[in-house]
Amino acid sequence: MDLEIVWLFVQQGVASGLVSGAVYALLALAIVIVYRTTDVANFAQGEIYMAASYLAFFLIVVFAVPVWLAIPLTVLIVCCGAALFQRVVLTRVSSGRGVSVNLVIATLGLSFLLKGMVRFSGFGDAPRSFPSLVPDGAVMIGDASLTYLDLVILATSLLVMALFFWMFTYTKAGRAMRAVGMNRRAAALVGISLSRVQMQVWAFSGGISAVAALLIAPKLLLTVEMGHVATLAFAAAIVGGFTSLPGAVIGGFIIGVAENLVGLFISSRAIVVTPFVVIMLVLILKPQGLLGGAVRVRKV
Amino acid sequence: MKPLLAAIGILAVLIGAIVLETSATGYIVYLVNLLLVMLVLSLGLHIVVGESGQFSLAHSAFYGIGIYATAIATTAGWPFILALAVGGLAAAACGLVIGLLALRMRDIYLALSTFAFGEAMQWVFLNWESVTGGPNGFNIPPIRLFGIAIMSDRMAFPVVAVLAALFLAATLVLHRSGFGRALRAVRESEIAAAAVGVNVRLMKLAAFILSALLAGAAGGMFTAFSTFIHPDSLGFSNTIQVLTVVVVGGIGSVWGVVGGAVAFGLLNELLRQLPSYQEMVYGAILMGFMMFAPRGVFAALRRSR
Amino acid sequence: MRKRVKLLGCLAGTAMLGITGAALAAEPGLTDTTIKIGLFGPLSGASQAYGQDVLNAAKMYYAKINAEGGINGRKIEVVVEDDRCSPNDMVAAVKKLVEQDEVFILNGGSCSAPVVAAKDYVVRSGVPWVMLNASGDGALYPPQPNIFGALSISQRAVGGSTVEFAAKFLHAKKIGYINHDDAYGAWNLEAAGPQAREDGASLIVESVDPKITDVTAPVLKMRAANVDVLVLTTYAGPAQLILKKAQELHFDKPIVVAVNAIANLKQMVDNVGSKDAFKNVYIEELLMAKPGSEKLGWVYDLYKKSYPDLSSQPGHPQVYMPYGIPPAEVVVKALQAAGRDVTRAKFIDAVEHLDFNSVMAGPIVFTHTDHAAQKASIYFKYDGENLTEVPGVFASRWTYKGN
Repeated sequence: MDLEIVWLFVQQGVASGLVSGAVYALLALAIVIVYRTTDVANFAQGEIYMAASYLAFFLIVVFAVPVWLAIPLTVLIVCCGAALFQRVVLTRVSSGRGVSVNLVIATLGLSFLLKGMVRFSGFGDAPRSFPSLVPDGAVMIGDASLTYLDLVILATSLLVMALFFWMFTYTKAGRAMRAVGMNRRAAALVGISLSRVQMQVWAFSGGISAVAALLIAPKLLLTVEMGHVATLAFAAAIVGGFTSLPGAVIGGFIIGVAENLVGLFISSRAIVVTPFVVIMLVLILKPQGLLGGAVRVRKV
Repeated sequence: MKPLLAAIGILAVLIGAIVLETSATGYIVYLVNLLLVMLVLSLGLHIVVGESGQFSLAHSAFYGIGIYATAIATTAGWPFILALAVGGLAAAACGLVIGLLALRMRDIYLALSTFAFGEAMQWVFLNWESVTGGPNGFNIPPIRLFGIAIMSDRMAFPVVAVLAALFLAATLVLHRSGFGRALRAVRESEIAAAAVGVNVRLMKLAAFILSALLAGAAGGMFTAFSTFIHPDSLGFSNTIQVLTVVVVGGIGSVWGVVGGAVAFGLLNELLRQLPSYQEMVYGAILMGFMMFAPRGVFAALRRSR
Repeated sequence: MRKRVKLLGCLAGTAMLGITGAALAAEPGLTDTTIKIGLFGPLSGASQAYGQDVLNAAKMYYAKINAEGGINGRKIEVVVEDDRCSPNDMVAAVKKLVEQDEVFILNGGSCSAPVVAAKDYVVRSGVPWVMLNASGDGALYPPQPNIFGALSISQRAVGGSTVEFAAKFLHAKKIGYINHDDAYGAWNLEAAGPQAREDGASLIVESVDPKITDVTAPVLKMRAANVDVLVLTTYAGPAQLILKKAQELHFDKPIVVAVNAIANLKQMVDNVGSKDAFKNVYIEELLMAKPGSEKLGWVYDLYKKSYPDLSSQPGHPQVYMPYGIPPAEVVVKALQAAGRDVTRAKFIDAVEHLDFNSVMAGPIVFTHTDHAAQKASIYFKYDGENLTEVPGVFASRWTYKGN
């Protein structure tokens, strides 16, 4: 492979990788904030993301709701749905007697339920799309080509992340979340309402996933299986250190770029297995990832 | 009272088995064969998740290794008992490796890495074409038992049933033994178990190996009556099905697993008639049980009595 | 204790009598007035669009034959099972139809991978099996005595035909070929290679996962390799993503989309997002004419008459619906040829002598050694709105060279 093509592949791989990486970063963020504050690895994160896109599709294409209304409506509904799941199902599960993995199993149940609901609605039979708000066209960055939609995805993702970090650091609700994430008992002792914070966190997690879905949906196609990007998000979170928020974001971009470069330089067939290999390697060799703290041991 | 109950139970099962073998349609026998394979798979998952408390999501990988290894041995002309042993041991060897790695991980990290391993193994099944046939699948030749080729579900049923009974008995014995108690002690509290002299690392490793052995054996049983295997059936959704059985039956109870497997088999066949509801029902079951009967349906029944 | 043994002995004995009694009866699925046919296909699940209406078409054809008097004094009785295009479900469906419903002939299968799963059981049972629209390569090569298929087209023939079109009509010397790394993809590639070599062209292959979402890598590689034509034998989703990406990356060579990707043209254009991406796109068609054309009018009219409620729903009839006609025609013609005292063996022999024109691009031909019926396609240029037929029928030359 001559040098010119290698350089082209590197540029395109990095450029496209940053765009898809932004979406993985958002999802990884959603996964990590939930894990930090409620100790649940949300195996339904991908399906929440998938259901959000189908909900938007349903509103826009079937009910002809105008786009400017459908988008915030989708985000709102998903936020409420996620908070409801936490309040109704997860609090019940964590209070019951049983093994600690029950929470994860409950999220697995949610993932099946969501998938089944979308399939049942009849829209899952063929890949779907909904119209892009961004005009067609592309820019060249060096030798790499990125569409206007790609740039919007990247910019909006970064904006959402920045907003989230601002909220997390400077607002009262954010500080409460951080407190719960650091030490649940102490937070309860100083009067923070655990159940309210946990609901809020789930709502944010759902909202971020919905935003990610709305951003990427015009670029990809809606299929019932699209939730499998959650595996990439998990890989991203693990690479960054499963308990670190900035780590999740960095991990997302790393996974996005790695995925593209593997596809370009190794083989298209190897793309699918890359996240799994990454997860295993990181957990075996350096479980705290790039930025995570020492791996917490919860059981005695 | 109990021995008489047990004797009647065993006789009922025997009569049921004979009726099945002689007069039920081949289709029903096929369904029962599948159910027995699921039972042994679930017993395997029960040992690692229920007894030793390690949340492993790699079960389909061991099952797949068992199927391919047994099928390859059978293709090479080996008699079934030997081929089955190959399948079980190959899976157990893999379980040993994963178990060693698992010793360094907890809870969610263990779940994630075993999940990743399971998916990576499915990719290997799909891409290692020279061994597994890759995306073309693997045509499983009929097994040979005492010189006879097993050519149908009906012929395979006695073999499958005897094996399932053996593995069930072995799991029960394990459950009631000191080894089982040690495993459960590790599940409840590793530090306390170590304090009373339990070799925690060895116990956890042994649980992984046994679990993989059973999964591999279940794979061998599958080859007794199936003619084809494709990597699509060996992924995470298969692991989830086994997990559902263990969860519904009751994590930690062997008879619960048996009940769960039977319930699952019935539910599966029922849902085949209502395909659009399948996933929703699975999801609702998982969530419902975690909310209302986290120790499984049979524990809940026992409680209410 | 003795009583119990006696009881068991009686039960066993009665069971034995029952079995031998059944074995001495006539051919299963046949009575004086009926022939039982076991239909199965994906009536639900992810692949429903590939088979639900195909099955409906076969069913309506049988109903039409019944209305015209049946076959040699017998009416066709249909039993339907859902196989969801999954190996486990197809095996269960086939076992149920053969053992529980005791059908005379199996007529089903829209997806190739599960067909392979069911193959050995069907071969052992000896029940004749005429597939629906499954490519079915895994059960057709090597040929099995009682299995017939490729009534739509085999995957081998898809590979051969698309390459033939690229080489002969588009004069390509370097053909880019994107397929999947599953069984389907392996089959179409197996014929594509030799056909390209014979036509004097080289084949640049990229195999991608069916679930792929980011197609930057394969499309970029094709552009960098400077191919003359890009052939896609992927499923609908990846094909649409590739068309989109090709437009983004300014790949403007002709793109030939195989039938594997074309379930719904309008949805395809919607998903790709702009008609500009279709400036240089050709699609493969297996029917003898455009779907919905007047040459096929009788099929669509019959569908509307047979399923008035379904045909008023959006998305129906599904694009592949007419593919259900050739399999049903095969079954009916063979039954007619076999005569009144038909047996399964006579039916199989009759099928192996069939050679007729149906609704497909090429004739339906079986021989004793070749149980794959249809091997040709026609092509259309598609600009996102209109289909313009390209003259000529492009056939695959691949043949099975096994022992």
